[in-house]
Amino acid sequence: MSLASSAAPLPRPTGLFDLLRPGARAAFTILAVSAVLLLFLAPIIILVVTSLRPGWGVYYIYRGTEFTLANYFEVFQRGVVIKAFVNSFVLSTVATIISLGVTVTSGYMLSRFKGWLPKTWFTSIYVFRTVPYISWVLPLYVVNQSLGLYDTFTGILAAHVAVHVCFFSWIMKGFFDGIDPSMEYAAMIDGCTRWGAFRRVALPAAGPAIAALGILSWLWTWNEFLFALILTGNRTPLLTVTMAQFVTELGTEWNLMSAMAVMAMIPAIIITLFAQKYVIQGLRI
Amino acid sequence: MAEVVLRDVCKRYGNYNAVDNVNLTIRDKEFVVLVGPSGCGKSTTLRMIAGLEEISGGTIAIGDQIVNDLPPRERDIAMVFQNYALYQHMTVYDNLAFGLRNRKVPEDTIKAEIDRAVDILGLRDLLKRKPRELSGGQQQRVALGRCIVRHAKVFLFDEPLSNLDAKLRAHMRLELKRLHRRVETTAVYVTHDQVEAMTLGDRVVVMNNSRIEQVGTPWEIYAHPRTRFVASFIGSPAMNFLDGKVRRNGSGFYVQAPGGTFHVSDQGSSELAAHDGGEIIVGLRPEHISLSETRTENALHGRVELTEQLGAEQLVEVIAEGAKIMVSRVDAERELKPGTPVYLTVEPGQLRYFDRITEERLV
Ligand SMILES: Nc1ncnc2c1ncn2[C@@H]1O[C@H](COP(=O)(O)OP(=O)(O)OP(=O)(O)O)[C@@H](O)[C@H]1O
Ligand SMILES: [Mg+2]
Repeated sequence: MSLASSAAPLPRPTGLFDLLRPGARAAFTILAVSAVLLLFLAPIIILVVTSLRPGWGVYYIYRGTEFTLANYFEVFQRGVVIKAFVNSFVLSTVATIISLGVTVTSGYMLSRFKGWLPKTWFTSIYVFRTVPYISWVLPLYVVNQSLGLYDTFTGILAAHVAVHVCFFSWIMKGFFDGIDPSMEYAAMIDGCTRWGAFRRVALPAAGPAIAALGILSWLWTWNEFLFALILTGNRTPLLTVTMAQFVTELGTEWNLMSAMAVMAMIPAIIITLFAQKYVIQGLRI
Repeated sequence: MAEVVLRDVCKRYGNYNAVDNVNLTIRDKEFVVLVGPSGCGKSTTLRMIAGLEEISGGTIAIGDQIVNDLPPRERDIAMVFQNYALYQHMTVYDNLAFGLRNRKVPEDTIKAEIDRAVDILGLRDLLKRKPRELSGGQQQRVALGRCIVRHAKVFLFDEPLSNLDAKLRAHMRLELKRLHRRVETTAVYVTHDQVEAMTLGDRVVVMNNSRIEQVGTPWEIYAHPRTRFVASFIGSPAMNFLDGKVRRNGSGFYVQAPGGTFHVSDQGSSELAAHDGGEIIVGLRPEHISLSETRTENALHGRVELTEQLGAEQLVEVIAEGAKIMVSRVDAERELKPGTPVYLTVEPGQLRYFDRITEERLV
């Protein structure tokens, strides 16, 4: 790279980048992009490679040439792994469906209505949001214990729905703030009730945003570790906790853990490939 | 087919009166325009008629029914919003059909209605598009179409043209007028543009500070403004106001103003009779002033300050003893250098007199 200060005078250079020759500029761009890619891709590449190595080879991934799919078969021969995948999938899906019902309506209420009810609701989720997420866990543990919900699907589900509602009602409110309310007024004049205007006009208009939020909620629960660790035990294995259990007193089975991690990444990858357009569009309204 | 009657209508937000004791009768098939400066309560009044805003006091009747407690959908009204408020996720056809489907109108009737509206508004080629794919003017027409298909008792418009550029606005203004002649429905139209108010309204309601200042035909409002506010708000360029003193001259009166005196007409004399020797405000419209460079009797003497060339005419700002006076309709070819001494005269019958304190027209 060379600074082109002596070459053809460029009109009012605005930054370092503009001072570069076109060729150097391209090189610079490529370099920057590869640096970013490296930063994000390297761990994933290492993970994938590790998952394909035999157990004794994981510390030599840059040397060995033996590759195997055995790790994947072995992981899926363990009942707990399959159970964890199923549990995590069901948990994410059910929690998302339930919480969307609440976040969408409560986000709408926060955006459109005034009065004591929205105010109280707003304040309470605000308070919960300001509490660090980690501080939720212990009280929730105590509550779940005393209600007999510890290590049950219902117990962990309730916790996730609560977090979704507190964290995502805000985002939903933001979406509805961005939708012009006169569309709903028009609908009310056109024969809808207040609820009808919400359901038939505001809701479809927020459709992409709701889809985006659904995906975010789903991924949040799928990836969540702390609640799963504290609020569940052997009866309700979840993906992230099961993955961590490859760390044993006898050492860490990196190859198996990587294989499971790669499998766990698949939903995120599918979403990135197919639903990304939706998420970006939705988050933009 | 309906009359709209507002009786002592109020709207309060906390301690603030957004609409204060409005009384207004809108006749069947009449096109009434509410006009006034920003924040004067026009939209709030309209939204109370629509049922989108609760009424704090008084009653609103549509037809012979008091609608205070009816939700918007039961008032049988149609409304066009400033930003059109089209349903973004529906095609133009579905936008037009939405209100009728809600009323369980059979699909073939809906189709016939839409056909009729589409012909009136020239929307034929756009029926399958989504609102996003339309220009501002086209969206505007769809919003009007949504009104027409409904056969509502009353049409409400809240600044429907203000998002359009000047040329399109002038065009749509004419379209609206033509439309009203075709579909003859009671209409209430809100705007802050006095040109729209004058051209569209059968009657114009001038609002200021949450109250009605005057109701009348466009001509009445222009020629006989009831207050100084109405006089200044309607007409462009705005009316000139000068401080004047009433003086007796034998049996009649004259008014002493900065830079000279005005004769008073017989009609004016009766208006001023009670103010002999008193201080008043004289209103004179820029278009009623004639400007001469030769000394004239009963004229205001001043000097040219600025000229604005409009091509068809010139606007001239004259300063007479410190008072600014705007003169319009000056021959565009006349050359008036700043500082030129000029004499301004007005037909006595065109002068308007206002009380200095109440700012109401003297009668
Ligand atoms: N929800 C509200 N809460 C408090 N005050 C309000 C509310 N809505 C309107 N107002 C006030 O009521 C007054 C009248 O508002 P309105 O919208 O009727 O004005 P407008 O005449 O339509 O003006 P514009 O030409 O700007 O649209 C304004 O001063 C406004 O600030
Ligand atoms: Mg308004």
